[in-house]
Amino acid sequence: MRQAMRRKTTRLALAMAFVAVCLAVPAHAGKAGIGWKETITAKKGKAKTIAQLAAMYDSGSCIECHKEIHDDWAKSIHARSIFSNGRTAATFRTAITNGLMEWPYSGVKSPKDITVEHLMGCAKCHLPQLADAEDSVAREIVATIDAWQDALKNKDKAAAGKAAETLKSLNINCLICHNRNAIVHKWVDGYPKAGEVYGSSEGKHEDSKFPILKKSLVMSESIQCGQCHGLGPNMEMDNPTQCCTSYGSYLWAYVAEGGRETCQDCHMKKSKLGHNMQSYRDAGMARAAVDFKVETYGYYWRDVTTITPKAVVKVDMTNRAGHSIPDG
Amino acid sequence: MFKQEKIYMPVPQQLGRGDRMGRGPYEKSGIIEDTGLPPGKTVHERFDILFPTRDEKEGKETVRKIIAHELEIEVQLWYLPYGNMNSDPFLWHESIQKVKISETGN
Repeated sequence: MRQAMRRKTTRLALAMAFVAVCLAVPAHAGKAGIGWKETITAKKGKAKTIAQLAAMYDSGSCIECHKEIHDDWAKSIHARSIFSNGRTAATFRTAITNGLMEWPYSGVKSPKDITVEHLMGCAKCHLPQLADAEDSVAREIVATIDAWQDALKNKDKAAAGKAAETLKSLNINCLICHNRNAIVHKWVDGYPKAGEVYGSSEGKHEDSKFPILKKSLVMSESIQCGQCHGLGPNMEMDNPTQCCTSYGSYLWAYVAEGGRETCQDCHMKKSKLGHNMQSYRDAGMARAAVDFKVETYGYYWRDVTTITPKAVVKVDMTNRAGHSIPDG
Repeated sequence: MFKQEKIYMPVPQQLGRGDRMGRGPYEKSGIIEDTGLPPGKTVHERFDILFPTRDEKEGKETVRKIIAHELEIEVQLWYLPYGNMNSDPFLWHESIQKVKISETGN
């Protein structure tokens, strides 16, 4: 018994040493650019659980000074980007069941085979920071979606609510836009650094975790949103996906036709929605996006001797948005 | 008495090949055609709706009787995020108008 205990203790010590080694290994080993070692994920190491990933990009400290912006953001879909109203989470699962598990070369026979790479088709936009996690997080997300769906089937509201909250703990929050994804051209402008937030000005930032404020060169440019709001199929992936295509439409059907406004102009500024970036579900945005005119009149239509009255209905729909409606 | 639907959307191509439409994002990789509302452009639609009539024999002749001289026309623009009315449909615009034709004639 004592020997067995000793052996067990030894194994634990080895395991802890192994963890220590893991933490010292760069999260993005092999990246060519200079400065990636200063990023949040390189400093912290890859997350192993949903809780760790949520903590890695925890924006909780922003609330004290930016409560109004936080409250606006909390109303947006960004605040529940892998859950939305439940349909996004369900679509993650469908992608596994009807996609990954059916494709002969995906390497996925069951949800246990899921890796981060498998989920990035969805997560590239719905949870880009999943790239900063280990495969265990991808599997935990799938298990949580399954738990949520099972709870719904069993009408267990408490369990469904708990699973939903776990899924909502991963989202597109302050640090995703104002740090992780705040620099698009990292070889030109450098990698986003841990301890810095990127916004509209430079200076000190009263947050012990993020004491430096840096001016982002893209925060008010459409490319900031275009990182996720899509060009079309994601050709860089081994198995391309296609979800949102708004940025592609914006570039080639709006700007190409003389459009000058940015995503932020309409979705944040003109709409006065700020960080509650909505689209059609906001009444003002819906009104502004599509002009809808209907004209009707009637007359007696005559086919030789047969007279049949008819109504004519003319509908004019003008898309005032900077992209096709709908997209996809 | 009359119902017609038109669909406006980019029609995704399944795996970017052939003539099949894709459904989930995981199998979409192209666009077969795009009937969506393009930015900055006006899409015109026209519907011709015949009033309800009934043909009756009057002697040797067939006479067309008009059943209603007024129609209520309802035009709705729906956004269907998941492609059907069962899943989170959103009524974007709606117009209800009455169309009358004269009852007296010349």
